[in-house]
Amino acid sequence: MYPSDVKYTKNHEFIKSLGDGTAVVGITSYAQEALGDVVFVDLPEVGATFGAGDEFGTVESVKTVSEIFMPAAGEILAVNEELEAHPEFVNEDAFGKGWMVKVKLAGALPADLLDAAAYAALVSEESH
Amino acid sequence: MTEPMKKTPLFDWHKAHGANIVEFGDYLMPVWYASARAEHLAVVSQAGLFDTSHMATLRVFGKDAYDLLQWCFTRNLDACVGKDLAPLTDGKCVYGLFLDEHGNAIDDSIVYKIKDREFMVEVNASMGGPVARHLMEQAKGRDVTVIDLTDKLGKIDIQGPASIKIMAKVLKDPGAVYEKLPYFSAKGHFDPASTLAGQAQMLDGTPLLVSRSGYTGEVGFELFVERDQTVKLWDAIMAAGAEFGLTACGLAARDSLRAGAVLPLSHQDIGHWPCIHNPWPFALPFTPSGDGFTKAFLGSAALDKAADAPYTLTFVGNDLRKVEAHGARVYLDGREIGTVLTCVTDMAIGRHEGRIYSIATPDKPAGLAIKGLSCGFIKVGSRLAPGTAVEIRDAKRAIQVLIETDVRPDRTARKALKTFM
Repeated sequence: MYPSDVKYTKNHEFIKSLGDGTAVVGITSYAQEALGDVVFVDLPEVGATFGAGDEFGTVESVKTVSEIFMPAAGEILAVNEELEAHPEFVNEDAFGKGWMVKVKLAGALPADLLDAAAYAALVSEESH
Repeated sequence: MTEPMKKTPLFDWHKAHGANIVEFGDYLMPVWYASARAEHLAVVSQAGLFDTSHMATLRVFGKDAYDLLQWCFTRNLDACVGKDLAPLTDGKCVYGLFLDEHGNAIDDSIVYKIKDREFMVEVNASMGGPVARHLMEQAKGRDVTVIDLTDKLGKIDIQGPASIKIMAKVLKDPGAVYEKLPYFSAKGHFDPASTLAGQAQMLDGTPLLVSRSGYTGEVGFELFVERDQTVKLWDAIMAAGAEFGLTACGLAARDSLRAGAVLPLSHQDIGHWPCIHNPWPFALPFTPSGDGFTKAFLGSAALDKAADAPYTLTFVGNDLRKVEAHGARVYLDGREIGTVLTCVTDMAIGRHEGRIYSIATPDKPAGLAIKGLSCGFIKVGSRLAPGTAVEIRDAKRAIQVLIETDVRPDRTARKALKTFM
């Protein structure tokens, strides 16, 4: 039920490595469902650099404003500008159209990221 | 000792329809189904259906029922209906407050005059017991009985411009129900034994109390029904409303709609401070000149001396971004001046050249993209003029907002029912 070609954080971000030293980052389908309607996404400038675990933006839903954290160290190559007009893409397609930033990775992905099975187990624990 | 959470008769329906469930008062309630935003917009443009069975309902009756309410309730029952301040007559209801002797709000309420010596008092979730005890303490020797009907009743609110057409399909003889049913009046009764029960019924004869009121600022009804009939009523309305875009709505939409309609949430926007300087002067029995009250009531002596009480003011932001109200502070020119009581986003409004437009505004500029505006209430030490810019801050962000006297324009609550038929 969670894509197997991406890695997950315990804070419900995902990172999809594109194999060329770059990766796409967003929040998971579980995260968007817990937040409810996403109404605003605040993203960083292109060129900004972040360490693994750094806050890089906020997601505002009808319920609350949540920080989002970088799963891996890197430099922002692009942000999903469509989210400005269509924040609902995060709800509709979290792993696809709802992507948030593209990063140039500073190194290998951190070892403590979760695979799909481990993330599904975490979600199942949290929702009980 | 922890009491188990209560469920309304519609709990299983909410679960089966994908509701996100939260604890509210003593109840497990839907906060939204698929989308709180869509639910909010549906009420402004079509109609929404709310399970409000968590609200508490008291029956107050007896020779001295009027006397007790005239002392404990802030509205003057002899002078509260319409611009002419007519007396509260049978079938009319009125919004007001129950205050303590310090002038602080115990709860807000709608009081219905059912008939001579018989009133119905609607208060907030979990407040049936406390308000009933308060009234009995104040009754002191008066000939009056207070009964908490909450667990015997279901309550459903239908709100939005399509409500009138939808209920016309649900009610037996809707023309008779709608006739002379102005804002803040009611017909029928939920108790089959009541002499009023024939006034408003479902097609199968199930009696209803139909109140032309609500908590969204949009036209519609609050429907009171015997608890066992709640699901049947809900299903009948949902079926009748399908062709009109009727949407089941949760508490999140209810909260954002009421803030857009400048209505307070009890225990958040009114509470443990003198209830005098706020956007709801109509809840108190002011004389036409506004310099005194038309009656003495519990709390009025304290309010007479409450000139230095805090001011609750309405604000509207410049975009849809909000702050977490709990713990947020208000700043004027960098100086902290108060706290935030409510901060939500009314998704149906936007600003354009200094004016607030709703998706329902007839003359809104073509092509205006309405994305929502944050809005709510702040509590500060002194009055601020409308248009004053203040900053509200939570731990994460600071936003600029403007003091306003109104939020969502072109609301429908007060329009004549025939407008919607």
